[in-house]
Amino acid sequence: MSGTRLARNEQINGWLFIAPSVLLIGIFLVYPILWSLWMSFQVGKGMNFSFGGFTNIIRLTKDPIFQIALTNTLIFLVFQVPIMLTLALLLASALNDPKLKFRGFFRTAIFLPCVTSLVAYSALFRSMFSNEGVVNKTLMAMHIIDQPILWTSDPFWAKVLVISAITWRWTGYNMIFYLAALQNIDRSIYEAAKIDGVPAWARFTQITVPMLKPVILFTSVTSTIGTLQLFDEVFNITEGGPANATMTLSLYIYNLTFRFMPSFGYASTVSYVIVVGVAILSFVQFYLARERSRA
Amino acid sequence: MNMSTNGWRRLIGAAVMAGASMLSVSAALATEITVWCWAPEFNGAAMKAAAEAYAKSNPDVTLNIVDFDKGALEQKLQTQLAAGITTDLPDIVLIEDYGAQKYLQSFPGAFESLTGKVDYSKFAPYKVSLATVGDNTYSLPFDSGATGLFYRTDLLDKAGFKPADLEGITWDRFIEIAKEVEAKTGQKMIDIDINDAGVIRIMLQSAGSWYFNADGSPNIVDNAVLKAALTTYQKILQSGIYKPVSGWNDYTAAFMGGEVASVYTGVWIVGGIKGNQELSGKWGVAPIPKLDGVEGATNFSNLGGSSWYVLASSPNKDAAIDFLNKVWAGDVDFYQKILVGQGAFGTWMPAREGDAYKSADPFFSNQPVWQNFSDWVQKIPGVNYGIFTNEADQAVLAQIPAIQAGGSIEDAIKAIDAQIQQQIQ
Repeated sequence: MSGTRLARNEQINGWLFIAPSVLLIGIFLVYPILWSLWMSFQVGKGMNFSFGGFTNIIRLTKDPIFQIALTNTLIFLVFQVPIMLTLALLLASALNDPKLKFRGFFRTAIFLPCVTSLVAYSALFRSMFSNEGVVNKTLMAMHIIDQPILWTSDPFWAKVLVISAITWRWTGYNMIFYLAALQNIDRSIYEAAKIDGVPAWARFTQITVPMLKPVILFTSVTSTIGTLQLFDEVFNITEGGPANATMTLSLYIYNLTFRFMPSFGYASTVSYVIVVGVAILSFVQFYLARERSRA
Repeated sequence: MNMSTNGWRRLIGAAVMAGASMLSVSAALATEITVWCWAPEFNGAAMKAAAEAYAKSNPDVTLNIVDFDKGALEQKLQTQLAAGITTDLPDIVLIEDYGAQKYLQSFPGAFESLTGKVDYSKFAPYKVSLATVGDNTYSLPFDSGATGLFYRTDLLDKAGFKPADLEGITWDRFIEIAKEVEAKTGQKMIDIDINDAGVIRIMLQSAGSWYFNADGSPNIVDNAVLKAALTTYQKILQSGIYKPVSGWNDYTAAFMGGEVASVYTGVWIVGGIKGNQELSGKWGVAPIPKLDGVEGATNFSNLGGSSWYVLASSPNKDAAIDFLNKVWAGDVDFYQKILVGQGAFGTWMPAREGDAYKSADPFFSNQPVWQNFSDWVQKIPGVNYGIFTNEADQAVLAQIPAIQAGGSIEDAIKAIDAQIQQQIQ
């Protein structure tokens, strides 16, 4: 009898302890999420809402900017995430070499972009890559190009610019995860492989990469989410231009809410597209990783 | 928004306002009016001049003028109005005419109606109608965006063109002149930022057309003026007469610094051009070129232009309205000062009787530029901007790279129409 009462008391105490955080999460997380779900079925201009059923979803299928934004976001994802993660992995294993001099310096240097503010570095990239910016001047002085590249007014180069910018900003961040995980790989595995005559590249692909699989999965999920939410860079460097060539879903949501005639309902619908996209892609990544570990 | 939140908000708002008005009474007339505007060398400078003019008779009122980037200002305003948080809003805000109806219609009650408080019969009627919803007018109309072709007289002279050669020309002739100027001086005629659709807006209004019909429906597919405008712009983009730039700063730097020989834009650019006094006496102004073969085409148009609005949530709105009324709708001398200083071409008609409007300007090679603009402004075809100009601009910009690459204008127009149809629902 007393045991049950004790258990119940403990349960109540437990709930009391977590009550503040549950309450806060409820107010600031669950409520807005549910509210935005409700909003995504509303139509109307500005503060005049009315229930529109599936109108917004039908609008998605006919909206050319939404389709461009979705395509651009996927292009950024497909090119940028693999490039960045491969670079981060290679850098991490290079910087993990105990014989390398100035390791600390290189690690800091590569991680440093990550502590800069997104807006500040975007502004710098914008000025460096302007038509008469330092990048074009350098390339022309080296006779690699003879006409300045119109980084921000050519649809192709604008995409290249955005991909370069995010890669610069986030490679070091992902590298730190790999470096940390590499510390957990037993040196003796590499030694044994070396003695067996396994070449360096094979040691990388056959030992390092498989041992890092959980971390690679983690970084690819977080990078995917980050790219799907890409906003600061495109907003500050290209403003989505030229001709929507760097328009992303997040920037489009922003435009729908704050730049165009405000249509909060439709903007919520587009944000739920990101939610669904993140869920699907994360599931696919987990699924692929699980299959491979069985094989 | 449900009723109870609104009710609460009003109650709290009333309480805050009551508190604030008691404060202002007890603090013995130390009122500060906060103003948001963009372009410090133009709107900001004009507002500063207005503050000085007002301070003479009202030393107890100070003005806090906050300069933003125009995009940032619009977004900050829209965010706060949408959130219903009025505490950080200014007392007076500058809004561009293209966006006025959007704000007035999306946020009913956010702006103070000035009908009955301002004598609108003294303002240019087109400016008044841009800020009118139903029976109420909300703005204190400010500047006209009457367009001109601002050119460097010295460079044009070197290429063999007199000021008269630039009067009443077509865009085709403009391109020929531009080629000649580059051949003789080695300098490009203009600079273009292809992420800015201003030139299309200039061309449309110069022939009395717009993206939308008077009833707000899109006017794209069978719009002969739009077709002519895009065709003309394609010619300009393919002629190589321009220096490509990106962003507003680079755009203005090119003509202000003397890199390119001319710019076609609103009269408000004078504030920027006069920023470089080294080129004083080397500038002239002509009407903009006109579209060829379009019915109703003129050499006169409008780009931008904006007006002052008082926020209904402002605790100092009476002081703000008094300030606007006394200076912006009552001080002829003030208008002369901002005309010469900033090229702020007001739409308060009595100001046109002042001396500055009638005299020649030495900066512009002693041309009677202000008299000219006074004439031109009368000839600008009137159009109704509607509430979706921003969206239409984006739809046009999306097609510019294809047009630049020589793509079909018909296809571009179809794509523009499709995008606008989607955006305006």
